[in-house]
Amino acid sequence: MPERGLRMLEFIIQNNIVCHAVEAMLFASVACAVLSVIITQVQISSIGFTMAHAAFAGAALGMFLSLNPTVCSIVAGVSVAFLIGPLSDKARLSPDTSLGLLFGICMAVAIFFIAYMQTLGQGFSAMGLLFGDVISLYREEVYLLAAICIVAIIFIVVLYKEITAIIFDKRIAESVGIRVKPVYYAMLFVIALTVALCLPIIGGLLLYVWLVAPAAIALQFCNRLSAMFVVAPTVAAIISISGALVGLEHSLPVAPLTAVLFSVVFIAAVLLSPRRRVTFRKT
Amino acid sequence: MTPSDPIIRLENVYTAYEGADRPTLTDISLSIGKGEFVVIGGPNGAGKTTLLETINGMLPITHGKAIVCGQDVRGDGVQVRCRVGYLLQNFAFDPLTPFTVEEVVLMGRYGTIGLFRKPGKEDYEAVQKALQMLGIEDLATRPIGQLSGGQQQKVLMALNLARNPEVLLLDEPFSNLDMFAREEINHLLARLVRSGVTVLIVSHAFDDLPDGSVRVVVMQEGTIVVSRECSPKEVEQVVRSAGKGTSHA
Repeated sequence: MPERGLRMLEFIIQNNIVCHAVEAMLFASVACAVLSVIITQVQISSIGFTMAHAAFAGAALGMFLSLNPTVCSIVAGVSVAFLIGPLSDKARLSPDTSLGLLFGICMAVAIFFIAYMQTLGQGFSAMGLLFGDVISLYREEVYLLAAICIVAIIFIVVLYKEITAIIFDKRIAESVGIRVKPVYYAMLFVIALTVALCLPIIGGLLLYVWLVAPAAIALQFCNRLSAMFVVAPTVAAIISISGALVGLEHSLPVAPLTAVLFSVVFIAAVLLSPRRRVTFRKT
Repeated sequence: MTPSDPIIRLENVYTAYEGADRPTLTDISLSIGKGEFVVIGGPNGAGKTTLLETINGMLPITHGKAIVCGQDVRGDGVQVRCRVGYLLQNFAFDPLTPFTVEEVVLMGRYGTIGLFRKPGKEDYEAVQKALQMLGIEDLATRPIGQLSGGQQQKVLMALNLARNPEVLLLDEPFSNLDMFAREEINHLLARLVRSGVTVLIVSHAFDDLPDGSVRVVVMQEGTIVVSRECSPKEVEQVVRSAGKGTSHA
């Protein structure tokens, strides 16, 4: 709800509702985009995907039990992140199989509770979890998004060396004396936290686009990881703000529209990528 | 650690991979002095790579004692890895890998730089020196994924040299190299050994070993069956005679 409170972009956007939506989309997209570089480069997309659905299931369960959906989605996302490793080891399953299993369970739990709430006449707010609803956010939730955006950026700046080495190769990172496991689990924790906080505005079904597309677009133009960490959030912020402004102006659903814009920009980036062009250089 | 102490000392070491029913290495005892050149041979699956990863603390030791560079590997594998270079086998990077050669070689310094610290002037100097040692300073700004397999191998070698290791563990270092590059690497290894670096090399190519005394360690089914000194020309014969009739390659 865009009720009274400090609006950070009020000096540019006077309309309260639009300002509220743009702020939410900006913070969510930047937080997801910086983490998308890690997710795509460490090749843990399926972990991100499963965490997004775990957060979705947690929020649905929280809503059903009249608990705070955000807290429940954080707990579910983090739990799944930390369950994947032990589950693979104990059940002697490949991480891929464990993730497939967890994903299915999370999806089933979420859909069960959403469907059940619909039969109880509480379906409207539950549907927001599927596709996101940028207008219905409380101001506190936007502040939380701003906070997680700052946390994600600080996390990457502070542990840049360790993160880049793990992205390059986990075994090489370990062999040069980096404590890979704690940094890896810290990554999963920050991703789970971000996923849970972004869920209400982007929705469980679309969140994955924000967690993958920005880095995939940046990779088409960047030779260096440091450049990807700048290009991915910049592109994501521009697309998300555009999606919010156009969606609100024409009464279109903001998150799905923005997801479509991401897809269009990704296709254009692949077609225009200088990295895929064959060139001959005279030496 | 006194100068006469071995730089690597393994006593009745057993190593097992997580979730494995039985140990991969069984009752390994080995003592290697500073500046020794050690060739590790044996059939596929004999435990050669496992031995290297046990020495640098990347695998759990279930029984026994392992002291490397004066540090107990079981106690603090990370500290050991900051002083031991380890060239892993079989690497090929995707052309879109977003790292330049210089960035990759700098990673060799990350463990010694420590958490929350940025690389300093001496780290960049060490990178330049390592690139020069391998003769690839002209590749510094190139993306690693766009190099040939041999050049990538040299970059990973430079990554290990950048942290001035006391021990260098090399797993199939010649696998992607042509004969000229092999010769260069051999000269480099001979120079490192003369300067006091201990080199352990897992290889199936014994024709181009550096001059000087070589220790051959032959492994079979997770144990050491031969450990003796010989000349570089005798290495192949020692490995062959130890593995006669047992090769699974």
